[in-house]
Amino acid sequence: MQSDTVIALEGVSRTYGAGPTAVRAADGIDISFRRGSWTAVMGPSGSGKSTLLHCAAGLERVDAGRVMLGDTDITTLDDDELSQLRRTRIGFVFQSFNLVGALTAEQNVALPLRLAGRRPPRAEVRNALAAVGLGERAGHRPRELSGGQQQRVAIARAMVTRPEVLFADEPTGALDTGAARDVLRLLRASADNGQTIVMVTHDPAAAARADAVVFLRDGRIVDRLAGADVRAVADRLVALEA
Amino acid sequence: MLRLSWAGFRERWTLFAGAVLTVCLGVALVQSSLLLLVSASTTSAPAGAGALARMSFDASTEAAVALLGVTLGFAALLAVFIISSTFAFTVEQRRRELALLRLVGGARRQIRRLLLAEATLLGLVGSALGVPVGVALMGVQTWLLHRLGFVPDGFSGQWRLWIVAVSVGTGVVLAVVGVSLAARRAARVRPLDALRDTGEATRVMTTARLLTGLLFLAGAVTLIGLSPVGGAVGGQAMAMNVSVCAAIALTLLGPSLVPAVARLIPARAAGVLGGLATANLRDDRRRTASTAAPVIVLVGLVLGQASASSSFTAAGQLEQQRRISADLVIDAPGPTGDRVTTTPGVASASTEVEVPIALTTGSGDLAYTRSATALLVDPAGYGRTHPGAGDLTALRQGAVVAGPGADGFSPGDTVGVRVGDQDLGSLPVVAAVPQAIGGGATVLLPAGVVPAEQLADVPSHTFVQLLPDVSRQQAVSTLTEVGTVSDLDSWLERDSVARTATSTGVLIMVMGLGGLYALIGVINSVVVAGATRPREFAAVRVTGFTRGQVVRAAVLESIMVAFAGLLLGLLAAAGTLIGVIATTAAVAGTVTVDVPWLLVGAVVVGTVLVTAVTSALTTRAATRQPPVALLGARQ
Repeated sequence: MQSDTVIALEGVSRTYGAGPTAVRAADGIDISFRRGSWTAVMGPSGSGKSTLLHCAAGLERVDAGRVMLGDTDITTLDDDELSQLRRTRIGFVFQSFNLVGALTAEQNVALPLRLAGRRPPRAEVRNALAAVGLGERAGHRPRELSGGQQQRVAIARAMVTRPEVLFADEPTGALDTGAARDVLRLLRASADNGQTIVMVTHDPAAAARADAVVFLRDGRIVDRLAGADVRAVADRLVALEA
Repeated sequence: MLRLSWAGFRERWTLFAGAVLTVCLGVALVQSSLLLLVSASTTSAPAGAGALARMSFDASTEAAVALLGVTLGFAALLAVFIISSTFAFTVEQRRRELALLRLVGGARRQIRRLLLAEATLLGLVGSALGVPVGVALMGVQTWLLHRLGFVPDGFSGQWRLWIVAVSVGTGVVLAVVGVSLAARRAARVRPLDALRDTGEATRVMTTARLLTGLLFLAGAVTLIGLSPVGGAVGGQAMAMNVSVCAAIALTLLGPSLVPAVARLIPARAAGVLGGLATANLRDDRRRTASTAAPVIVLVGLVLGQASASSSFTAAGQLEQQRRISADLVIDAPGPTGDRVTTTPGVASASTEVEVPIALTTGSGDLAYTRSATALLVDPAGYGRTHPGAGDLTALRQGAVVAGPGADGFSPGDTVGVRVGDQDLGSLPVVAAVPQAIGGGATVLLPAGVVPAEQLADVPSHTFVQLLPDVSRQQAVSTLTEVGTVSDLDSWLERDSVARTATSTGVLIMVMGLGGLYALIGVINSVVVAGATRPREFAAVRVTGFTRGQVVRAAVLESIMVAFAGLLLGLLAAAGTLIGVIATTAAVAGTVTVDVPWLLVGAVVVGTVLVTAVTSALTTRAATRQPPVALLGARQ
């Protein structure tokens, strides 16, 4: 394994169901992600994008293969160790923002740290919110924020632990173009600062902001583009869906 | 964690209001029963009362203590049951939120701790409200105890300061115990469930639940099987308990049974609304089962106990009618002596006086003294008016006969008897009269053992047989000088009502309060079920349902669930009736069943009405916001 590889999937397979209705959502996937790289994962519906993300993040069991996060094979960890992993070494951002409705923006951001038993200094949390441009909104509840603002709180929550990898599942899927642009700008800036990002998306405009785009079909990686523009990504996707 | 609990608590108070309410009422009921129990067991007879009066006083407080003990136990059982089902339900409604915590790194242990911390908080709030409510409830319970004649005049519940600690402890322990099982299950939620809107529904019917349910069902069947061989007292107790076991069993098996039973209702006939209602109640088995659970308990317990009680009262009366051979009965103060037998036209008479006694059974270390009653009789007269009583010639000074309500001793044993301050010493039990379903005196004593002057004020009754050719009217007019004269049938009716007044009182006291509690459980589960579905309702509305249609579909669904609960509850109550049939057939020789149809009707109509109204109100509240606002809001 190369020394600058943060996370690597080695021969990962995952089948849902059994018999004639079984679906091979991941079929011997080998892929590694370098430190500070932003990789977009694309493919038609049902191609196994989400499965790849969930397996890489330890949210989904694998049938075969291993997932190495640094020197740790996360497929061998038990539930407590995986929980610990989620609050220290991995961050998540989702299409539905998944903030805790009862907590303020600030409390949401502090949540992973508090779950880890830390009492984070107020400044640390405020800084994380300021970094996503929401320093003023610390005391608001999710329902008092716009979609774009909620997603930025979610990003702040994911980044506050300085995770080794940030997993993003359709982070702009529920946002209007303006809000989506803000979120992508934030992700770009953190990737440029050395944050490793793995992002599943349908949106060629979002994928084009990443460093590389990986294409999946039927649970297999079928192509990889680096530094492609929106048009090139869209064309490749259309070709796959045909 | 506590701050997170507090935040969650403030945010979702509507969801928790029901849980607080159940804790509050549980604490109030337990506190009030406990205070009254302590007060009753520490009261003593007023100074200056005679020996027999003191004995009556002790007997009545003893009965009150027993009754309050039953109330306390029943209150605690219901509290555990209703609180835990309410908590389990609120936890289940928050699956997604808990999965979310797992997603951002919450370990299982932390989810459990969070829920337990929340339960502690709810327990504290619930008990803080429960203590004053308990004080008010004690007033109601004391009034009931007076009203039903369980406590002597002047009795009142005493406030004790330590009860605050007990109540708060009870509330917190009930809440924590109630949530602990649900918390274990909730902690197993997979983080991925947060990403799905609906989440993979957990298996509602766990193996443990199934096995416990079947165990209780087996218990109910065993009780039915044993009730005919349990004798008059044991058989009645077993028959009464059938519906308790059956109601718990059916509640546990609810997730499988309720949707199946509800399927029997032809709701599809109601068109698209009926179709939606059926689909909903089948889809969310947990919600359906949780809503039906308190209905099953309410209907099963209240109707089961009430039918059993009225059947046994009727059976007791029939039994007496068959066993007693008399034309008239005279109620008079004190023994009538030979005033009746010397009246022209009277063939024979048997005067009976019931007095309280202290009865000691067993000997040495096993000796046990309790309050009981003795019937002072003239053996020859008793034998004539009770043809089935057997040979009582051995009943003389220095001996006793086991009475119709005897329990725990039989001919050949020796029992200690004390009447007032007169100790009769150890007496041999020389015979036994047949046991009666309606109960009666524990022992028969020969009339002479208690001096007549001590009995001057004690009510007596005299069974009178007239000579065949005597004018009844004339005899009645002569006998009226001795006391109040009635014919046998109307006297037996009054007597059986008085005799079962205790069990009827227990029923009103325990079932009334318990039923009220269960009813609140019904309202509670409907509120929680409706209050957590605004998004689901919104989704239905954007597909073209009007708000009125959504409300009607939800009400229809609730009514169907209530019906399913009613059917299962009636099934549990029917279990008790089978026990009643078996017991009355075995003890009295004929089957006697008396179902209080008015009560059945009231419970059925009341349950459906309460469910429908609650459901309509909560659904209206949950659909107040325009659907788009709800569907757009994501968190």
